[in-house]
Amino acid sequence: MRTEPQAPDQAAELDQAELSREWTSRLRRTLTGKLPPEKLLPDTQPAYVASWIYVFGVLTLAALIVVAISGAVLALEGPDWWHNSPEGHFVNSTHLWSVELFFFFMVIHLWGKFFMAAWRGKRGLTWVTGVLAFLLSIGAAFTGYLSQQNLDSQWISTQAKDGMNSTGIGAYFNVLNFGQMFMWHILLLPLLVIIFVAIHVLMVRYRGVVPPIGSVPRSEEKKPWRGRVRPYDIVKEASIAFVIVAILTLLFSVVFSSPDDPAATIKQWSQVDPVDFVQTAQSELAGASESATYGPPYNNQSGFVQSLGPVSLQKLAGVHYPINSGQDFVLGPLETIKSGIPSLAGALYTYQHASVAQQAAWTAAFGKADQHLTVTGDRLSYPRGNYGPVPTLLDNLLVMARSGGLDNALESHQGFYGTDYTKPLLFLADGGYFSSIGQKYHLLGTQWGMTNETGNFPGQAWLWLYTFWYQIPPMSTSANGDVMVMSIMAVLTLAFVIFPYIPGLRRIPEKIPVYKAIWRRYYEEEQAR
Amino acid sequence: MLEVLGLLLGAIVNLKGTAHYFEWGVIQISYANLVVIILMLLVFVLAMAIPFPQHRSGRTNEN
Repeated sequence: MRTEPQAPDQAAELDQAELSREWTSRLRRTLTGKLPPEKLLPDTQPAYVASWIYVFGVLTLAALIVVAISGAVLALEGPDWWHNSPEGHFVNSTHLWSVELFFFFMVIHLWGKFFMAAWRGKRGLTWVTGVLAFLLSIGAAFTGYLSQQNLDSQWISTQAKDGMNSTGIGAYFNVLNFGQMFMWHILLLPLLVIIFVAIHVLMVRYRGVVPPIGSVPRSEEKKPWRGRVRPYDIVKEASIAFVIVAILTLLFSVVFSSPDDPAATIKQWSQVDPVDFVQTAQSELAGASESATYGPPYNNQSGFVQSLGPVSLQKLAGVHYPINSGQDFVLGPLETIKSGIPSLAGALYTYQHASVAQQAAWTAAFGKADQHLTVTGDRLSYPRGNYGPVPTLLDNLLVMARSGGLDNALESHQGFYGTDYTKPLLFLADGGYFSSIGQKYHLLGTQWGMTNETGNFPGQAWLWLYTFWYQIPPMSTSANGDVMVMSIMAVLTLAFVIFPYIPGLRRIPEKIPVYKAIWRRYYEEEQAR
Repeated sequence: MLEVLGLLLGAIVNLKGTAHYFEWGVIQISYANLVVIILMLLVFVLAMAIPFPQHRSGRTNEN
């Protein structure tokens, strides 16, 4: 028996009032009411939307799509692929250059919207969502730089950790943890960027493009445009934008490629600068290195604890990644090789069973002698003195480091599949060798390093203001410089986000005649009418 | 095969050499970043200066 013909009748029998109260019906009515298809995909635009400034929004969207596609292709083969194959390296180049184009277009779009005072007429949330998308994109790019697995990511992570730690954020967002940063880069932040971009675009479609300043009374700015319109093929515009961005990305990738300076290793350090390596290891054992004296989130010391007045968010966040530098960087790794080396086993036993005062006396004595330290072959030479087992320990650590064994011991401290590089990076950063490489590549904080890329490639120029504060007093000289810079940036960032709601400031673009250039044709045509 | 591909896909312009920096007081900026910023400003100005293609207009939006 066929039952289909009865369906309409049955549907008609349903209580229409009850149906209209359903959540699904309400949502459908709300969505189609606020964003009907002709608003979502319009075929006309107000006549004043006649400036090249308007194309940078869609160019930004097109670049975001190319970023997502190139990132997805990189994800297909995994994070090591681009280091090991020319094809992978080329795809990485497309990812880098599409990101550069994305920021290039987004910043111009942002300038344009600022000078248009595009938040007028109840469009404040459109600005807010756009700025949030911009800020989230900076975070996504930053975690991308941290996920490169090369010298640049090593350097950026060890520099950025102080800013993060000073605010307590570092206790939860560990820039030295590759696995954590990688997941933020490929999942969490892109997801947030796409969500905010989508909301931003829908709000543009819902509210419409802001009318030229002075074209309608202020109270009319929020109303739909009722003046002249011009044809507008949104799909054609988006398609052309995508093709342009894709061509530019491929062109830059072929012509310029992308940087990939190999990561520094402890093996390399111990071979190139063995004296610095041994001196650093001695300071770890003595509890005198930066890592040993840092404070939260690594230990309860106070050497690098920062505060604003009486408030220290760093201290409040507490210890989250416990580091005992002597045990983690020296004694622990030596424990893993002592079974085949009786002299080392004896030295470890002697050191570990000595009193804390005795250990401190040995390491302090060796610390005084280490200015006269030399390395011949694989062996240390040092002036005579009462250093107990310390020279034997450091001698063996040097041999272990030069074989690559210390890299493995520190990198695999969490097991075979560990992705957290906090310990090896902290150890590397404690030495002078790592900062000498940073200086060579112009990556030091005093060299505006956070904005730079190795070689002549453009870097994270969008971090210029953050980096700028580090160059001027009191931030450049204060022990609380990081937390001061982060606080200034937090205030400025908040002001940037809520700019449309700040009385006085929100009217500034209306006093700068840049908007007259943007809407020049509209004003000329209106004058001629 | 991979070597040939590598050559084809390699950089035509070598940006991996010694970096150059513009320094002015506390300001230090790589020429690469400087070029990008100048290009952004230039494109922004050109986007306002170059006339946008004319379209038929005059219809009034009834929405």
